Amino acid sequence: MPLHVVGTAVPRLGLAEKVTGAARYTADLKRPGMLYARLLRSPHAHARIVHLDASEALRLPGVHAVLTYRDVPQERIDADLPVLDAVVRFVGDEVAAVAAESEALAEEALRHIRVDYEVLPAVFDAEAALKPAAPAVHPAGNLVGGQWLVVERGNVAQGFAEAARVFEGTFHTQAHAPVGMETRAALAEWQGERLTVWKTSRAVHAMDRPILARVLGLPLEHVRVICPNMGGGFGNKDESRVAVLAALLARRTGRPVRLEYTRAEEFVAGRSRQAAAMHLRIGVRADGAPVAIDMQATMNAGAYVATGMRVTRRVGQGALYLYTCPHARFRGATVYTNRPPGGSFRGLGAPLGHFALEVLIDQIAVALGLDPLEYRLRFHVTAAGQPGQRTTPPHELLPDEPVEGGVPFSSNALRECLLAGAERIGWWQRRQPNGTATGPLRRGLGMAMGLYKGGVGREAEAEVRITPAGRVRVAIGNVDVGQGSATVLAQIAAEALGVPVDHLDMVLADTELTPPAHITAGSSVTLSSGTAVKLAAEEARRHLLEYAAARLRVPQVRLEQGRLLGDGETGLDWRSVVADLPGDLVGTARVTAGSRTHLINAFAAHFAEVEVDVESGRIRVLRYVAAHDSGRIVHPRMAENQVSGGVLQFLSIALREELYLDPRTGVTLNPSFLEHKGTSIVDFPPIEVLFPAPPDPLAPYGAKALGEPPVVPVFATIANAVANATGVWLHQVPFTPQRVLQALRAQGKIPA
Amino acid sequence: MAQRIPITLHVNGHPQALSVEPRTTLLEVLREQLDLTGAKRACDRGECGACTVLVDGQPMFACHVLAVQVREREVTTVEGLARRADFQPLLEAFVAHDAGQCGYCLPGFAVAAYALLRRLPRPDAWQIRWELVGHICRCNAYEKLVAAVQDAGRRLHPEPEDP
Ligand code: FES
Ligand code: FES
Repeated sequence: MPLHVVGTAVPRLGLAEKVTGAARYTADLKRPGMLYARLLRSPHAHARIVHLDASEALRLPGVHAVLTYRDVPQERIDADLPVLDAVVRFVGDEVAAVAAESEALAEEALRHIRVDYEVLPAVFDAEAALKPAAPAVHPAGNLVGGQWLVVERGNVAQGFAEAARVFEGTFHTQAHAPVGMETRAALAEWQGERLTVWKTSRAVHAMDRPILARVLGLPLEHVRVICPNMGGGFGNKDESRVAVLAALLARRTGRPVRLEYTRAEEFVAGRSRQAAAMHLRIGVRADGAPVAIDMQATMNAGAYVATGMRVTRRVGQGALYLYTCPHARFRGATVYTNRPPGGSFRGLGAPLGHFALEVLIDQIAVALGLDPLEYRLRFHVTAAGQPGQRTTPPHELLPDEPVEGGVPFSSNALRECLLAGAERIGWWQRRQPNGTATGPLRRGLGMAMGLYKGGVGREAEAEVRITPAGRVRVAIGNVDVGQGSATVLAQIAAEALGVPVDHLDMVLADTELTPPAHITAGSSVTLSSGTAVKLAAEEARRHLLEYAAARLRVPQVRLEQGRLLGDGETGLDWRSVVADLPGDLVGTARVTAGSRTHLINAFAAHFAEVEVDVESGRIRVLRYVAAHDSGRIVHPRMAENQVSGGVLQFLSIALREELYLDPRTGVTLNPSFLEHKGTSIVDFPPIEVLFPAPPDPLAPYGAKALGEPPVVPVFATIANAVANATGVWLHQVPFTPQRVLQALRAQGKIPA
Repeated sequence: MAQRIPITLHVNGHPQALSVEPRTTLLEVLREQLDLTGAKRACDRGECGACTVLVDGQPMFACHVLAVQVREREVTTVEGLARRADFQPLLEAFVAHDAGQCGYCLPGFAVAAYALLRRLPRPDAWQIRWELVGHICRCNAYEKLVAAVQDAGRRLHPEPEDP
């Protein structure tokens, strides 16, 4: 069947309204009588509040309420996150919340709250925090969950015994911030015992609503959460106290309350990516084939873990899956410290683990005298998946986290990606042997691969309503965090119905108007909600066709591009037959998307050409090619934008972004755009994006995940290109000029 | 209570009589008093361009200007530009090139691009980059933004050899 909407470049929904300022984001909203909130934050990395006096603040005219740990429910937001607490665990931890007539006044009130602290010893380094004598950030100890996460396939000890050579390396990645342009915000309003919250979110159904209901002691039906528009999610923006404090202040004052983070607060008290220390060992046979891969990671989760365990798990993904290898193991420790809390950010742990894996593989290839691309073409995992036996019965398998052998991929176009990218950058013609360039400016080509599991096994629901007004209302509970999922889901619904996209009204991210939905995370929306939308639209279409056939007194009709076609009927607009409908025609679907027999993964191969100035240590990226297997591309232009945006975002993380902490006090030293400097409009070349893969047989219309895969291979691609230029592999992100010079000196490539 | 000062601003062609504190920024007046929320507050300290508006036709970061500094002057926000005929080609080009993802940076970019195209009718890609260098887009839609502005220049000022 030819596709009419999927695969075409319809205008991104809502884009024009965003340009003209008509689209409202949370902080743009106002309610009658609204008050403004600000938060008092801890100046200490670890302390106990011994005395707190807010009376002076409350006496300021226009100040309506101050909340401290004494005024809030005991029920926690997360297991380790009280609404407010007498103990503060990082510099910037929330101490009190103020509501006042203006933001300036609320800010002023903060200075009139008197707090005396008993300062406690603090620990910032994850390894140090694991020592028995380390100060405990939480009562149960600093190792989150009390144990290491261990995932093993085969038996690595046996694998290393069979290895001809063993290689190893230690790698570090930094704490850095996601930096959505919109800061966290929430607006809360009560009507009697009913609460409405507008907020920045990626999971109004799955997280915000149940958390608010539980903490505030309300029935779920009394809580409505809406995310109007998101100014950049990047996997971040939940896991904090924003909405709960706004709701409590609103209840206390009887007025709507809006709370918005400043940029500095977003950097410090938002959720950043955990710093990682990784140790990797790889054993290879005489022909170079990997026979054992063993990775160990220590993750600095900061003061509250939030989604940190999921981040840790994803660190091991590449090590466990990217190369055909009978024995693989990942061990990860997630560790509390007194750093600002980590959380999830685009790619979770995958870019970190892939950095270690793909750099060490490059080192192995070169040590064995193999071209790094050739090595990967020989040993990358194929569609057959990993060797070995599957032992868990399919119905017991955790669908998005199987670690066994014997599970094939639904599709795997790694090879096509490798070949297409190599061809585009001129790998075979232009690449010189590692470290042979001379002179002050040295050029090199490098590459790395990546894989990413997207959303398999998530539950999703959708509702598609055909109304007598001739519109189609598609309701999904997901949030479009800015990546364009509303447009992609509209395309899928339009395709399944047989109508143009502009006949659709998309309703997202409002707990009252949409069926329950999973979180917008793990690059899952296209796969899981896409499947639900497709099924719901197909059901609505069946109802419509039956109704139309009866009305037109014909045995059968078809619907194509908005026209009804059938015996004797020639291209009647479908909207002309529904005007007399007694009610809406409704299709609904509830699915657990994905497969229990196959892994549905996205793959990528990235290539870069860099120039390293060995006098200044500066790395310039000259070219970047990203080849992706995300199955069928639903919207080519948006997909290209998604890939190039992800790569550009991570190029500046690879080269410079880091949250610096004063090691004595725990103060974040650079919480601003200028000092935690992201990609600007002049920094990097255009990203060349390729989609050489065929549609996936199991995914809706063959479309696999695309939100996060583009960021996965970036660090390693640059490190490997730098190694080709200079002969030195960098093992620590970001690759700052100082680190480049240090590494070149240490390995004798430039004079000490 | 802080002292308040009566001022008049001309916003999108209309005089607005306001009462502001000396410390109040233009951005706060636009967003909180006039409910013109097209200008975004992404940093509030002149580092990102999300709050860009025109003051007497010149692009300025509204978070970095006090309301009292621009009394009696002509302030044009993206909402005002959106009603102008010569803004439409720019808007169409943004949509045609899919210039933007989450959209938070876009009103700022659009206002600055509008001013740029009045000064430099058909800029090349590097002129656009250096002129817009103060604007941050964390979705990194930069290439599409550059293409859109360049295209808008061609749409606004066609030359005979254009297809
Ligand atoms: S908000 Fe004004 S420059 Fe960032
Ligand atoms: S479109 Fe998201 S910040 Fe520019």
